[in-house]
Amino acid sequence: MIPAALAIARVKFVLELRRREVIFAMLLFIAATIVIVHFALSGDTGAGSRAAAGMLWAAVVFTAVLGLLRTFAAEQEEGALDALLLAPIDRAAIWIGAALAQFGFLVVVEVVAVPVWWVLFFQAGGPSIGTVVVALLLANIGIALVGTLAAALALGARTRDVLLPVLVLPLVIPIVLAGVTATYGAFGEEVGGLRPLGFLALYDLVFVALAWGTSEHLLGD
Amino acid sequence: MRSLGRLSTTIPLVLSTILIPLTVALAFWWTPEDFDQGLSQKIFYFHVPIALTSYVAFAFGAFSAAMYLWKRTEVWDLRSYVGVHSGTIWGTLVLLTGPIWAKASWGVWWNWGDRQINVFLILFLYYCAYFMLRFSLDEGERRRSASAVFALLGIGLIPLSFLAVRIAQTLIHPVVFSTGGAAMPNSFLLTFLVGFAGMLSLMVLLISTEMRGKRTAARVLQLQRVARGEDA
Amino acid sequence: MEPPVVTLTECSKRFGDRLALRKATLTIAAGETIVLLGPNGAGKSTLLRLVAGLLRPTAGSAQIAGVDATSAPRSLRAGIAYAGHRSQLYRGLTARENLELHARLQGQRDLDITALLNHVGLGDRADEYIDGFSRGMLQRLALARATAHQPALLLLDEPASGLDADGRLLLDATLRAGLGTRTQLVASHDDGLPARLGARAVHLNAGSLA
Repeated sequence: MIPAALAIARVKFVLELRRREVIFAMLLFIAATIVIVHFALSGDTGAGSRAAAGMLWAAVVFTAVLGLLRTFAAEQEEGALDALLLAPIDRAAIWIGAALAQFGFLVVVEVVAVPVWWVLFFQAGGPSIGTVVVALLLANIGIALVGTLAAALALGARTRDVLLPVLVLPLVIPIVLAGVTATYGAFGEEVGGLRPLGFLALYDLVFVALAWGTSEHLLGD
Repeated sequence: MRSLGRLSTTIPLVLSTILIPLTVALAFWWTPEDFDQGLSQKIFYFHVPIALTSYVAFAFGAFSAAMYLWKRTEVWDLRSYVGVHSGTIWGTLVLLTGPIWAKASWGVWWNWGDRQINVFLILFLYYCAYFMLRFSLDEGERRRSASAVFALLGIGLIPLSFLAVRIAQTLIHPVVFSTGGAAMPNSFLLTFLVGFAGMLSLMVLLISTEMRGKRTAARVLQLQRVARGEDA
Repeated sequence: MEPPVVTLTECSKRFGDRLALRKATLTIAAGETIVLLGPNGAGKSTLLRLVAGLLRPTAGSAQIAGVDATSAPRSLRAGIAYAGHRSQLYRGLTARENLELHARLQGQRDLDITALLNHVGLGDRADEYIDGFSRGMLQRLALARATAHQPALLLLDEPASGLDADGRLLLDATLRAGLGTRTQLVASHDDGLPARLGARAVHLNAGSLA
């Protein structure tokens, strides 16, 4: 189960290293989103503001959806998904592998984007970066999980690319709520303390369980 | 079986015809006017039962989805679809009656600090996406499985949304029930319960009527196929 | 693993409004080889995918060794190989990497990939990305992938398309080697194949078995 998932995730990383299809697009996209949200809030996201903190979450979620559009693309080109479905592996390994890859892509994007965001908006008096990093990591797990689930469900749909954001975004609203709360809390204000982080971990657990229970029905006919 | 099918529409038809007008009568002529909110509080007897009914319909849809994944019979797929469909119809009413109450109580059409209505909004968006998913897949086994899994995931989303909104919330919805039991006069509770029963029976009526339509349509399609000589 | 029995019972498959397979009933005995013949669009691929468990029947059943094909346990799936119209490979990987992935998923640590690639005539192209492979080369690699783990049930969907004369000889030899030792179902346009293999031919036309 774990070795199979890792093998599948590894293939996806190798392909990304060779083709550079997803991560660059995600980086440009997150930069453009941050700029657009900044101008859309016309100055309310100035140095040190809470709006600037919240904006990161909007940008992360939309960027994740962009990456998710290519989740099973490599498996669809030559029908490799059939081979994975017939392999003597737990079928959960297929989406766990895909989710691991999505998680990795998100982390790479954030490693670049979060420091830049920090420098642009918080030369001084920003939220505590440790909390933001933990919240982002937990959120990445959840986003990658439910995103991969939705991408699996949308396989074979006529309007897959249009459909996927519509399926994913309502599912990740709780992540955004908790993530933003955690980030505000990291400004030193008393907003719930560790509870938002605990919630993000709970979210991940609930959807792992649900996805596990339905994984036999997720990808097949 | 046929008589049972008829009963499943007749009973809720009779019940809802009696109970919903009764709720109106009780709400306006029997229950005393609310201390604080005055006449505008009357919408409580409709808005809250409608919202609970909507949750029941979504729960029915999710339950039927689980049954479909277990039994793999088409009728559970239809039930699941009809449940979610009904849930979104009631949900639309929730999102229409909610702002009326909000305007009367807080002077704004939408209160982003109100926990329930925001959870409801997330859930409503989610189940609207169900229809997009379902109708962009070709009719068949794949569509039924994917719809069922999606309907089922909503069960995880409801409590998580409640928790998330609670963690993030700034304002508190006027809590009519305290956790220790009903803190309102008996007349309030009774009217509310009558309203809830009325809305529930109307929901059952709508679901069983739609199910009958769906089953008839499926039967017609099957007969057409037999007529074409496909006999399956 | 022993070669399994494959049974289709009144098996139908519908895609939207189109009936692709209509009440197909077919038994393939353990170790038997069957060539499935029929024009394009007759439902051959659908039948193969139902047997592989990649499709779920609309009505009736498709079973491998007495188990519904869609819910075949891992131990059973380990003995099934299916090569379809598409190569089921990753375009961005080399021929060798594709087979390495397959071996890893099959749990075969000792697979001699170089020998396998030499066997299908791709030894000198082993480390090229399959992006640039011709149809016939992909077909050879797909055949290598499908037979690498010595399956007990081999399902091939028009395996000869795009193959040159040498490739066809290789394919025939592969199928001949499996006669009696594994259950084989091959969809083909080659009317001479059943005779060459000494295998039973089954005709499929407009979704119905003859």
